Amino acid sequence: MMSDAFSIARKEFVDAVTGKRLWLVAGIFLLFSIASTYSTSFGFMMGIQQATRQMVQIASAIASTTAYMAPLLGIALAFDAVSGERERGTLRLLLSRPIYREDVINGKIISALAVISLTMAMSSLASVSVSILLHNVAVTLDDTARICVFVAFSIILSFAYYALSLFISTFSSKSSHSLIISIGIWIFFAFILPIISSLVAFIVLGSPPARAITVFNMTQRQQFGNFTFPRESEEYLNYRKRVAEISSTVESFSINYHYTQITSSLFGFVTGPLEFGQRGRATASISTVLSTRIADIVILIVFPMVFLFASYMVFTKRQEK
Amino acid sequence: MKMELAIETKNLVKIYGKGSSSIKALDGISMNVPKASTFGLFGPNGSGKTTLISILIGLLLPTSGDAKVLGFDAVRESIEIRRRVGLLPEGFGFYDHMTALENLIFLATLEHIPKDQRKSRALEALEKVGLKDRANDKVSTFSRGMKQRLGIAQALLKDPELLIFDEPTVGIDPDGAAEFRNLVRMMNKEGKTILMSTHLLYEVGMVCTHAAMIRGGSILAQGSVEDLYKSVREARGYRYEIRIKPGGEIPLQDIRSISGVTEIIRSENRVTVVSMKEIGNELLSLVARPPFKELVESLTPIEPSWEEIYRFYQGGG
Repeated sequence: MMSDAFSIARKEFVDAVTGKRLWLVAGIFLLFSIASTYSTSFGFMMGIQQATRQMVQIASAIASTTAYMAPLLGIALAFDAVSGERERGTLRLLLSRPIYREDVINGKIISALAVISLTMAMSSLASVSVSILLHNVAVTLDDTARICVFVAFSIILSFAYYALSLFISTFSSKSSHSLIISIGIWIFFAFILPIISSLVAFIVLGSPPARAITVFNMTQRQQFGNFTFPRESEEYLNYRKRVAEISSTVESFSINYHYTQITSSLFGFVTGPLEFGQRGRATASISTVLSTRIADIVILIVFPMVFLFASYMVFTKRQEK
Repeated sequence: MKMELAIETKNLVKIYGKGSSSIKALDGISMNVPKASTFGLFGPNGSGKTTLISILIGLLLPTSGDAKVLGFDAVRESIEIRRRVGLLPEGFGFYDHMTALENLIFLATLEHIPKDQRKSRALEALEKVGLKDRANDKVSTFSRGMKQRLGIAQALLKDPELLIFDEPTVGIDPDGAAEFRNLVRMMNKEGKTILMSTHLLYEVGMVCTHAAMIRGGSILAQGSVEDLYKSVREARGYRYEIRIKPGGEIPLQDIRSISGVTEIIRSENRVTVVSMKEIGNELLSLVARPPFKELVESLTPIEPSWEEIYRFYQGGG
């Protein structure tokens, strides 16, 4: 019965919002977000970053933090969702009620979706509000719309890790095991896979060609402030392009990559090798971003669905003594 | 008249795992629990008691065989069973960060008890187990014994017709265990059927009207406690103890002349009589006559101990 799932969801929601764990993760998230907005606003003051579309640039800084923190929020809510109940013996108590096993897992999923949505929305709102108040940044209607879309995808990213960690929790006998595996996967996707992708690219392409700086003259240089920058040769630029392509292919196995691709397009910055001054350039319209990033969006949505289904199957078929 | 059964299992088999690593936890269990009885499921740790209970309420599926609880099939109608059965599972736990009352109200919600009755039912259950004054304390502050009592309270929430307690006195002190046994007796008087598993032999004798002995996933013996006693008595002989006043001497040949008496053991001021049949009435009339009347202090039948009963059935009856 769905009402049983909602009864469980209500309890889970109250437990989450009154517990320390959620506030700890949300606090760290907020702290890092605000720190990244400060870093960006420092860029404005120093003239390193362009002063146009400041809110978009600040939001892109928040997005960089979110790419790391949103998965942690999902893991924090899921790693002991089932294994913890099993360890404490409360699962036996729940399952001895006239309810279906589906109600237990449905209740947990409904509650997690509510908690993640609320936390992501509140954290993003708080970060943006702080930016507006502290850095006197102007916010347009388009900025607001982009931030809303960003929050929606951040919720999906967090939920994707929730689903992954829930799946691990359904067959783990100990929450500590579930936590270690979940964090291990997060570290792999967020930190190790990008390194592996670069290594793969270098193995495939071999050593880079000489940078072959061309003759330095006014037509071949980009000028920014008081600095001058030489341009690399075509061969070197092609090499870098191939490295980026191979890295992207390898990284596409990570859910984080697809999220970053969407937010990068949304806030108009690139994640590969940066051409100097690329941040802050004109952004594509939201509808263009959504249509060009449709493959990333589909993967971002399908990923949690696959793991939710797997969790559902494992939990409902499992027999508890 | 056919006995009404609360639980009926036929040839229940449960095998964990597959292939060479599989373990047969239940090996053809056929068990009948009469309605309004206090049924003790006795067996050592790992004998299959918890597996059997888990199958009865639908937490585990049997590999083969049938089980009916209150007339409902344990596989297809487990929800109906759980609607009517109060269970105290082994190794259960509560939400420590919530109070006892909050825990029970949450569980009452899942029992589909009407919203306006949840609190009163929870308080009523807490009162029955003597925890009403701790209703608003967090479970994290409770001792193990108190948690066990709270476990009994949650089983009583819906006023079930059948209560299943899996190792209910594990971890509670002697006073708590005695209180529990009183509660069981009281509930049985109210007409409830109680199935309790235990690995403590004396517990069966203290509260149960019926019992089954399980070992290695098989039932060694089952029936009313009286019948279980009777079989042992018949096998090892009916025993009676006659206590004699100090310095007194009774004519043992008079006792030996009673039909069925096989052995008389004399020790200080006690005489133990062993008989192949029930001779309680004959002995009573004998000790009411002189010279026994003046010399005998008491006459009592010696019941087999539960350990004796268990050893008897373990040896194949």
